[in-house]
Amino acid sequence: MKTPLAWKNLVHNKVRTAVALAGVGFAVILIFMQMGFKGAVKKTATQIYDALEFDLMLRSPTYLHLTDPRTFPRERIYQAASLPGVEASRPFYLGLTEWQAPQPPDAKLGDWQGEWRGIICMGTDPADPAFRPAEIREKVKNLTDSSFLLIDRKSKSDFGPSNGERFGELDIGVKTVLGRERFQIVDTFELGTGLAANGACLTNPNGFAKACYWQPLQQVNLGLVTLTPGADIHQVQNAIQQLLGPVQLEGPPTATPADVEVLTRDEVRVREEKRWVKETPLGFIFEIGVYVALFVGVAIVYQVLSTDIANMMGEYATLKAMGYTNGYLTSVVLQQSVLLALVGYVPSILISWALYYIVSSASGMPMAMTWQIASIVLGLAILMCVLSGLAALRKLFQADPADLF
Amino acid sequence: MTTATPNLSLPATSGAYADGAQLPKTVKVGGLNHFFGDGEQRTQALFDNNLEVRRGEIVIMTGPSGSGKTTLLTLIGTLRTVCEGSLQVLGNELNGASRDDINHIRRDMGFIFQAHNLFESLTAFQNVNMAAELQGISRKAAKERIEYLLTRLDLGHRIHYKPNSLSGGQKQRVAIARGLVHRPKLILADEPTAALDEKTGREVVTLFQEMAKDEGCTVIMVTHDNRILDVADRIVNMVQGHIRSDVAVVEASVICEFLRQYPLFAELTPNTLTDMADKMMVRQSEPGEVVIRQNDPGDLFYLIRAGHVEVIVEEAGKSEKVAELGQGQFFGEAALITKKPRNATVIATEETTFYTLGQEDFQAVLDQSKTFESELRSVLAGRT
Repeated sequence: MKTPLAWKNLVHNKVRTAVALAGVGFAVILIFMQMGFKGAVKKTATQIYDALEFDLMLRSPTYLHLTDPRTFPRERIYQAASLPGVEASRPFYLGLTEWQAPQPPDAKLGDWQGEWRGIICMGTDPADPAFRPAEIREKVKNLTDSSFLLIDRKSKSDFGPSNGERFGELDIGVKTVLGRERFQIVDTFELGTGLAANGACLTNPNGFAKACYWQPLQQVNLGLVTLTPGADIHQVQNAIQQLLGPVQLEGPPTATPADVEVLTRDEVRVREEKRWVKETPLGFIFEIGVYVALFVGVAIVYQVLSTDIANMMGEYATLKAMGYTNGYLTSVVLQQSVLLALVGYVPSILISWALYYIVSSASGMPMAMTWQIASIVLGLAILMCVLSGLAALRKLFQADPADLF
Repeated sequence: MTTATPNLSLPATSGAYADGAQLPKTVKVGGLNHFFGDGEQRTQALFDNNLEVRRGEIVIMTGPSGSGKTTLLTLIGTLRTVCEGSLQVLGNELNGASRDDINHIRRDMGFIFQAHNLFESLTAFQNVNMAAELQGISRKAAKERIEYLLTRLDLGHRIHYKPNSLSGGQKQRVAIARGLVHRPKLILADEPTAALDEKTGREVVTLFQEMAKDEGCTVIMVTHDNRILDVADRIVNMVQGHIRSDVAVVEASVICEFLRQYPLFAELTPNTLTDMADKMMVRQSEPGEVVIRQNDPGDLFYLIRAGHVEVIVEEAGKSEKVAELGQGQFFGEAALITKKPRNATVIATEETTFYTLGQEDFQAVLDQSKTFESELRSVLAGRT
């Protein structure tokens, strides 16, 4: 057993190690937050789609993103349904409209002017809902009238829940205005909208036509195709696209210009994430934020580690003079760095977890600690410490030992 | 017969030829120059240093601060990169040596620095063990050796203390134990006794002596501590980057002893004798070689360190052997004093080593003593 020098050094000077850990921890939390924000933007892009039941999606070639999906003729959905391999092909309506916060029960007549809020309204067939979550499939059955709606419990408090915080049992039966008609809340559901909007509601197609009165029911936003078991997804995708006419965004127009694009779930996800993360300012800000956090982290950890090494330069130089190789010295410093990274990481992930919870409940951003984020940040933390440690060692490698005593 | 030529330019007191058979050299410094800084700032710290240190020798380097002692020590210790000249340590040329070679050589050396440089996080034992571990010494052997050394250095009761609960002198002694634990072939020490009291300082140099005697370990020490000068086999004095003198203490006293036997030199003070010894150079002759020839002008004074010569006087075309001289005897003084040509021919009968003194230096010695010249004249008178 060799003397565990790295460990001894860390344990010996508790104050210095605590400072180093605080530095590492701070950097790690910074990275965690930025990753969390970025994750929230990504999640915004996908969480509604994740809740929808489909293998292939039909949508307009001019589709921009979730809350600006554009439309295409409803016949296309029924045309697609005629192909072999297609089990079901459902229309799905989605649009942004306006919601007036309901009047609180204790408000006096005349002094309540309900605030207007932008809300995502989704229209689906109560008898054949296009949703995956069992709760939504069950509750959608209540949308028996075009003036009924379900409100998302994750909608923010300024949408006017009666307890002032969150929609729930108490709000069932409350009436308000969506678009320009009166609706009644018949139940609640939970989905979340991320950064796209602050609230969401569900209606049946006729209700949607009332809420988004500018869009005729013959024009749908999305077509959700499910396949029969065993069908080859790419074959069906090509078959539908062939049937409906190839997409043509460039070149001279063909005889029958395609008004529908057929995409698999993966293609939808990738494009939506790219759209939100790379092309919206929000996504870009957080993307840059990760790099900035990493840079700040390296600066802090480098400062801490290089001071530490500078303080022990004479001792390290003595080891070198004894005949210890640069390899040994590197391994000591790297062990020290990795230990710092690991020990700094543990409290940081716990603190970040708490911060995620606080931020997502305060702002509605869907921040979630995933294995992916946790492992990426762990990797970055170790990389950050190792790079800083090596940079701090440079002097020891280059100089003659005699100059370091 | 060939004429002897000064084939070597080594000082007599270097001790290089004292024992005839050549012992291996632990350190060989040849024409070493060293510079600090670059460009305009470049200053020369060492000028044409030459030094040979034999196995088992204890060398003390002295000189005012800034004279280059520590620079030379760290160069020998591979802790600086050699700029110019040759530097051989333990049989390896350091000028241009690869990093692997250097690491290898370092493991055969024990370095004791002015700054103790102990890891604050490790105990005295663990600090010393860092040096033992590197050599792959077994745990048990290392433990025994470390405990032995620390106990010898009066730290038996502090073995498992960390540096911050040790005094300056105690830390210094831990650093010394660290430098000795792996039985290095070469110990390099920079002011090892500076922080120690007389008793512990003495114990440290006694340890050095034991290692030199028992294990053939060579010790090179920079020190200002006059209390430990007596352990030196050789004293190297440096001034402004030059090696001003390099004296094998024993050899210098051997020369003095030789000279003192003669009434001619008996009255000289030890200082004058030592000066004389210092200025002597080594010269060697093959068997049959003519060392001096009758009627040649006289230029050198000869002291025989080893070997034998015949003195032959030629008179009226007839050669007559008048004397045979051996170790400790001298010749060649007459021509220097009388400023006349040589009055005899001297031929080496076997491989012979002489220590020689030039005319000017010889004259300087003569001037030291009023009685010397008359003594010498009477000696000369007695011989002829």
